[in-house]
Amino acid sequence: MISDDDLLLYYYRDGHDAAERARIGAALAEQPELARRLHGLVARLDAAAAMPEVPVPAQVQQRWQAALERAASERRVEPARRPTFAQPRWQAFAAAAAVAVIALVFGIQKPMTPKPVPTPETGAAATNTSAYENGLKWHLASTERRLASLNEATPEERARLVEAIISQNRIYALAAERAGEPQLARVLRAFTPVLESVADGRGQTAGSVEQLSFELRVMQARLKADAAAPSHTL
Amino acid sequence: MLTLLKSWVRPDAFQAVLTERSGRWYNACLRITRDADLAADAVQDALLKAWDRRDDFRGEAALDSWIHRIALNAAIDLTRRRKTRAEDELDDDSFEAAPTTSPESEYAQEALGRDLGVALQRLSNMERQVFLLKHIEGWRLDEIAESLQTTINGVKHALFRAVRKLRVELHVWRGES
Repeated sequence: MISDDDLLLYYYRDGHDAAERARIGAALAEQPELARRLHGLVARLDAAAAMPEVPVPAQVQQRWQAALERAASERRVEPARRPTFAQPRWQAFAAAAAVAVIALVFGIQKPMTPKPVPTPETGAAATNTSAYENGLKWHLASTERRLASLNEATPEERARLVEAIISQNRIYALAAERAGEPQLARVLRAFTPVLESVADGRGQTAGSVEQLSFELRVMQARLKADAAAPSHTL
Repeated sequence: MLTLLKSWVRPDAFQAVLTERSGRWYNACLRITRDADLAADAVQDALLKAWDRRDDFRGEAALDSWIHRIALNAAIDLTRRRKTRAEDELDDDSFEAAPTTSPESEYAQEALGRDLGVALQRLSNMERQVFLLKHIEGWRLDEIAESLQTTINGVKHALFRAVRKLRVELHVWRGES
């Protein structure tokens, strides 16, 4: 019998040793009811955690800006250095995969989120949408950079970096679901096993990425077709 | 996308990331502190700390994520310090209702109360912070334990208690038996 607590730790990829994780993973694969229980639990927690963003008050934003400017005036900013290195093949492939995901995700985003004409009533919602889209852009750009930097990382650092990307992916997948974009959420979550295989250095990375890319293209084509329909051409 | 990447290495990266991402930091801190003024202070503390330590930033995480994490730690620290000051007089419930005076905080406070007003309000500070740091922020259990100055087992138990309470609340919302 696997408890909800253990299922949750499995979902978080934290708090279990490898053997326990493997045991729960095998049970989930064999028992659809258990998998449904986990999905139900996560869905409930996502619902409980759903909180729309609150805009930053203008005065607060100005205060931060002023504080940073004061600090900056005390010491001159030195330009950051960009590391230069040769990328091994799998690294280049992972970076290319990230670019593909970024391009495809934005291909999905555009037809899915037609821009309404701003009105006072929709202003707050537009701000939230903009914050969400900006956040997604930053996340994807950050993911691309992190993948490119994995070359210099030790196996432990690589695992930690990938873990960070996966965690962020989960957050943005949650945000996508809140924004009514379950397909995008699924795309983001589908990236997780590919990242895991990159982190582990397993040999099936290329095939996994190809599968993911194929799935993304199918979805993109489907969404483009939906976008062409009258109900999506506002 | 290329513009975004190029802007990353420019010296004004801090200003850029402040403009683009401060809303995310602020909202994350607001959820942790449940107080608009403390959240604003936490973000400012994080910005200044990050600025002072910018030579330590090696790019292993995004600058945004780095500051985000510092801000959350600042929010936890500010919440803990305020609670320590007030613990002789206030319990958790009255702590939540502590008055805020700045005008700009009123809207955020009201919005926070509206959005966060149901299930999460049933949790203790510890349970809410653990749940948010794990489920929303994706921190590891050991990172949460370190930040909250407790043990990993303590974090696990707080998380499990939070989950049970949230499930009960959601049953009530939805009229489920």
